Amino acid sequence: MLKKLILIFIPICLTFTFSAEARVYLDINAPTLIQIPIVLSKWKNVGKTPATLSEKVYEILANDLTLSGFFRVIDYQHLPFDLRRKEGIPEVLFLKEWMPAGGEILLAGEAFLDSAGLNLRLKFHLFDLVEQKDMVGKEYEAPLQNLRAMVHWISDEVLLQLTGERGVHNTKIAYASLQTGNKEIFISDFDGANVKQITSNQSINLSPAWSPDGRKIAFTSYLKRNPDLYLIDREGKNPIRFSYYPGLNVSPSWSPDGKQIALMMGIEKKSDIFLIDANGGNPRRLTKGHGNEASPKWSPDGKQITFISDRSGSPQVYLMAADGSDVRRLTYEGSYNTNPSWSPKGDLIAFCGRVGGRFNIFTIGIDGSGLQRLTSNSGDNESPSWSPDGRYLAFSSTRTGVAKIFIMHANGLNQRPLTQSKGGESSPAWSPRFE
Amino acid sequence: MIKKSFSILILILCIGLIMTGCPKKTMVKEEPSAKKSEEAARIEAERAREAREAKEREAREAKERELARIKEDEAKRAQEKKEFEQSLERKKSPGIEGEYFESKLIKDIYFDFDRFDIRQGDAEILKGNAALLVKFPNVKIQIEGHCDERGTVEYNLALGERRANSTKNYLISLGISGNRITIISYGKERPFDPGHNEEAWAKNRRAHSIIVSK
Repeated sequence: MLKKLILIFIPICLTFTFSAEARVYLDINAPTLIQIPIVLSKWKNVGKTPATLSEKVYEILANDLTLSGFFRVIDYQHLPFDLRRKEGIPEVLFLKEWMPAGGEILLAGEAFLDSAGLNLRLKFHLFDLVEQKDMVGKEYEAPLQNLRAMVHWISDEVLLQLTGERGVHNTKIAYASLQTGNKEIFISDFDGANVKQITSNQSINLSPAWSPDGRKIAFTSYLKRNPDLYLIDREGKNPIRFSYYPGLNVSPSWSPDGKQIALMMGIEKKSDIFLIDANGGNPRRLTKGHGNEASPKWSPDGKQITFISDRSGSPQVYLMAADGSDVRRLTYEGSYNTNPSWSPKGDLIAFCGRVGGRFNIFTIGIDGSGLQRLTSNSGDNESPSWSPDGRYLAFSSTRTGVAKIFIMHANGLNQRPLTQSKGGESSPAWSPRFE
Repeated sequence: MIKKSFSILILILCIGLIMTGCPKKTMVKEEPSAKKSEEAARIEAERAREAREAKEREAREAKERELARIKEDEAKRAQEKKEFEQSLERKKSPGIEGEYFESKLIKDIYFDFDRFDIRQGDAEILKGNAALLVKFPNVKIQIEGHCDERGTVEYNLALGERRANSTKNYLISLGISGNRITIISYGKERPFDPGHNEEAWAKNRRAHSIIVSK
């Protein structure tokens, strides 16, 4: 679907150039988040474009920017009367005119649906209301059914302009859900839209993992009365069983180059970390001890693997080289630390730790320093999974009753449920960015 | 018993002989010697015949007892087989390949939190399960390792694998062939009791055996 997305990049306002002393809009490394007030003026319908369409665009855009956590969105309906009526991209921006809006940034746009009603063109401009300048203007065109993806591209672009890094609005989250009564694999967009069930085999389906290109998902299923590894398209088609040694074939993690998969296997009558080739063959045991070894996850550079071992008497987070050598223990606090996940920038490990009988999400530096607790007083919180930009974590939480997937900033702020489902969800896995 | 009564018989005969015969020796005039030896031979033959008959009777009775015992054993085995057959419940899990049987005669064992060693009392239960497997050598089982809901999906899968394997190993140590036992870990995915308290958790930390072939 996304392949069909035709992107037209038109830098409309060529008069504007970045100066070397460009204003820092947002320091994403700041300990607390300061939200940028951004004005979203009314979108204009060009030609015979139905009003509902631009309203839809507006709604998705406002939601994206709110969910990103970096913005305080000022809705046009809350603007002074004169500004409320202004729609579309202003040809000339008068600072005085927009001052009463109360924002630092203005995002204005127009939607144009062709006469056949098939192709949609979205055009937007981002203005700095403080320095009175046009920051960027772009236009996207794609088949109408890709409306959401197009709006997400705009949101990503806004994040790039204001934070220096593209957003993750065009990513998805895979997870296991008991919604149907059986544990099946589901996928949802970053904003909770497009929830799609991709397995419906009524078996037990566990721990989904995205291939590095985002096209496939590996997961475990009990279909053949053994926890075997399967591969399925992200559309839910062409499932194949590809690792089915007797005993465990669970908790897959793809190497960044997509050539190998680390997983837990029961070949040695207990769970160990193994590597297999991407086609399921050639299993190599990486862990040699007597403990239970679980939950392997690759480092982003493909050189190391983090995993869980209870060789010390309780489950703790360990790191090792990708050939199984150079094992070292990372966590020493607490008696039950599991579910490690390596940050995309490579500097942090997020994990689930038990404190006072409850499970919570923590991060720790890969040198063992800087332990930070991200959740508290909110039920059990497990299975953290990083967004590809490293700015968010998806995790499961029982704070509202049955476990649901939540998303938060990597510093613990802005925690919110992914979807409005009934729950029974576990093991979120954040996709890479889709190109 | 027969042997004993036979000796008693001989004893009585001897006493009778002493009481009747002996005094006569002094009182009664001696019979002619030919007649006397004829009499002795007759008694001798009589005794041999009795001994032979007693021996035959003994063998016959022993054989009858053996037959009765075999018959009893067969009846017992048939009864056990019947009880076993009756205990079998045919099952099928949706989404998981294969039909199987469950029997209340094969009992579950339970584990402590985050442990996979066999508890003392549960060793006796496994001996019972092993005895049943000895009686029914065609039966093949699958041991399921289960966990309570606390802790993560993956770590519990590892723990369940360990629980199933330690149960399997114990049965092997009792002489059951490893070829008859497969294992599977369900981690925390198939709780026996859906509750969220220690009572439910204790029931869920278990090794449960199903019959995959009988």
